[in-house]
Amino acid sequence: MTAPEGPIPGQRIVKPADAPDTNVPGPLRLPAAGNAAIARLLQSAPSPAALGDLMQLAGNSLLARIALPSAPAGGAPPAPAGLAGGATGSEIADLQMKLSRLQASAAPLTEDGKFGPLTEAAVRTFQGSNGLEVTGQPDAATRTAVDTAFAALSPPVRVQVALGSTGLDVGFAQQKLNAAGATPRLAINGVFDNTMLGAVIAYEIVAVHRFPQGIVDATVWAALDAGTQGGFVADEGASNTPIEQLTPSGTANALGVQVAGTSLHPVTGVGGLTSGPAVHELQQKLNTAGATPPLKDDGSFGPKTRAALQAFQNGKVPVTGTADAATWAALDAAAPATTTGSISRTWDEVVGGATYGLTSNYSWEIQKTRMVVTAKVNFVGLAPPAAWFGHVPAKWNQFQGVDPATGRTMPIDFQMTRGGGGDSNTVEVKRGNDRANAGEWYLGDTDAANTIPHEYGHLIGLQDEYQLHPADYVRVTGHEPPVGDAGGPATPPATIATGIQAAMVARSGVAAKAATVGAGLKPGAYAQRVVAEYALLAPVNLAAVAEVPGPPKITGLPAFTTTGEVLSDLDNALRDDLPRYDTIQVLSYSSGSIMGDQSRVKDPHDHGAQPRHLAQFMTILGQALGGTWEARRR
Amino acid sequence: MILRFEITNGSRSPALAESVELGDDGTISGWRTVSPAGVGWFAGRLPEAELAEVRALAGAVRTAPAPSLARPGASTETLDLDATGPYSIAGSRDGLAVAARWLVQRLTDFPRAAVTVTHPSPEVARLEHRGTEPLRLDLTSVAVSAAVWRGYYEPAGTWSGVIGGPGEMEAGPGWTLDLPLEIDAPADPGITVHLAVDFAIRHGGSSMPVEARYEPDIEAPE
Ligand SMILES: [Zn+2]
Repeated sequence: MTAPEGPIPGQRIVKPADAPDTNVPGPLRLPAAGNAAIARLLQSAPSPAALGDLMQLAGNSLLARIALPSAPAGGAPPAPAGLAGGATGSEIADLQMKLSRLQASAAPLTEDGKFGPLTEAAVRTFQGSNGLEVTGQPDAATRTAVDTAFAALSPPVRVQVALGSTGLDVGFAQQKLNAAGATPRLAINGVFDNTMLGAVIAYEIVAVHRFPQGIVDATVWAALDAGTQGGFVADEGASNTPIEQLTPSGTANALGVQVAGTSLHPVTGVGGLTSGPAVHELQQKLNTAGATPPLKDDGSFGPKTRAALQAFQNGKVPVTGTADAATWAALDAAAPATTTGSISRTWDEVVGGATYGLTSNYSWEIQKTRMVVTAKVNFVGLAPPAAWFGHVPAKWNQFQGVDPATGRTMPIDFQMTRGGGGDSNTVEVKRGNDRANAGEWYLGDTDAANTIPHEYGHLIGLQDEYQLHPADYVRVTGHEPPVGDAGGPATPPATIATGIQAAMVARSGVAAKAATVGAGLKPGAYAQRVVAEYALLAPVNLAAVAEVPGPPKITGLPAFTTTGEVLSDLDNALRDDLPRYDTIQVLSYSSGSIMGDQSRVKDPHDHGAQPRHLAQFMTILGQALGGTWEARRR
Repeated sequence: MILRFEITNGSRSPALAESVELGDDGTISGWRTVSPAGVGWFAGRLPEAELAEVRALAGAVRTAPAPSLARPGASTETLDLDATGPYSIAGSRDGLAVAARWLVQRLTDFPRAAVTVTHPSPEVARLEHRGTEPLRLDLTSVAVSAAVWRGYYEPAGTWSGVIGGPGEMEAGPGWTLDLPLEIDAPADPGITVHLAVDFAIRHGGSSMPVEARYEPDIEAPE
């Protein structure tokens, strides 16, 4: 028996695949804070939520030694964040953004709306350097001073750009022209070409009201900046960390694309669901549509409900006594508002050049003081751990619906329950720690606190936010693709594109990665130039590849003709391996939110669950209660 | 051939790149890259009863069914039958798909040239050869990680370390390698330690990254 010498060197703090949703930017940055927290933990009984964060922060031998109390058996919302003078999560998130920009925090603060030790420290620093009493509390005087200091920050220095210009500023101008409605959308490639020229000219005429000069000068920049936030790089925190400020664009729709011809309503009645939220919704709609006598809203599909349904169907849709898609459409038109409902959303998404899909089954109920969203899961295989049920509210129960016109508020609570039936989702629970997907979850997942809420997002209809095409990224996140790396490596985009195609011909993910990541390519504007150059290459016919007998036996690949769409070509031409994944990653866009790729994208401004992820429930609140609702942190 | 099944997923590290082939005579062979029962090459013969079951399921398929859309995040899963050629079964839960996935698990009962990890004492993760034939390992860099669970998968800490290993070597029957662990989990019957050891197996001219796992069962509470 041989053994390496000595203990394992280079012990590193474990970092989960997905970053923790705390305002700790990265586990390696604050060892001292981690140790202090652990010391505190050893002195008193910590809350399970604090332990969860700590384990992600510094999952090391010390923590392994700590005997933990039992986690709550699910459903319990996280303990309220520390004292913050009664501020809401939205106000704290705003404060976090401003303190970061004012460089009062040590490092960029994650805008999570939770008043943690890093935010408190930043408040202290700000108070100390602005002649305020150092309390660490964001009182009214402090917040006013922060607002004043933030407003006094100098605006980004803008560079005049014109035909032929390249670089970051061109990319930011492209973002803002898109946000202003440039048609067709401009690729965020950092190149001022003729297409961009057309968009600039149109913008000058329509928005600046001047004779077009085809340049983005101070006047045009002023208009673009007045029209759209973001679109610059700011140093955040005392660490001077450069962070690209996101450019909002359009209205986010984070849901997967509903498959044409499908209904959002499950078939209800004989042959479909005969109890539960769908039947409540049906009974309420039939009553609103004039059922006589009115039905008892008991959620049970009996003869009276069937008779009322048939009466409703008569003359409108075939009289079947079962609420199918056509019947539901008629009911929705006659009676849009209910207080409970059941959704069966069949959707798909294009991620990494491949198409995935799911039918998500979930329900909602508007109660007196809150709205509850439930995804019922039929767990098959092994038993799900109790902790999983707590991970969902811990990540998702941070928002409320707000109707600004009336000041009404409605907390939105999310829950995952167990159960079967036609309105449940099937999830197989497996041993091990493989990559989870919407239908297979792994017991040994040490990052379940992030994984389960991500997969739960799919169960309420949300799509993935990683490895997206630009248009999908904008639709899903509601902001422009980041400019990212506009300068790129020394290798010309066309050369990289040719290298990618050559790698496809060689059927080699390793070669594709070498041509891209290996050449220094990073996500962003320069990579999009590669995408465009690739699209110009003549298609190539890739011959079928024979299997390698092995062992290991490697299956052959079918013949394939490239299309010019680089993500789907990579997906089709190469085997599903890590180099291929890394290659697709740099040529696409990923968000850092709970539905994105938190392990690869660190974005303090778009992290964890976001208001966009609740938009569908805001629409429902508006239908049920009137008004226009928006999701804000509690 | 009765069937061949391949499952790959490049979004995890090391990647999943596993396959199993079942011959008409019951020979089962294949490769595992991420497994609690050994990684490497497996080959053997499936008992007649099991073989008959899979043969019946595979024999009932005349044409490849319309592919069901893979669920978000799903691995690539390809089933290959003589009657159909390769087709995707990602997202499918039909009997043959379930059987194909089961064969990947069953495979590890027939180690030919494989490596597994055990946990003989609290401070040791031990790589052990399994099977009758040697294989070449690339142990230049070995990553060891541990997950500590309390009760039924309540997280109670994680730990990981990277070791500069002994480099490339051949591992044959009887070969073991002890890797030191720096975890100090309480000796409590309610505590379970799981281990994962990442290294590479040499084959042809290249290294295939693999993850051997040690995952004793944890009994679910009633
Ligand atoms: Zn996903």
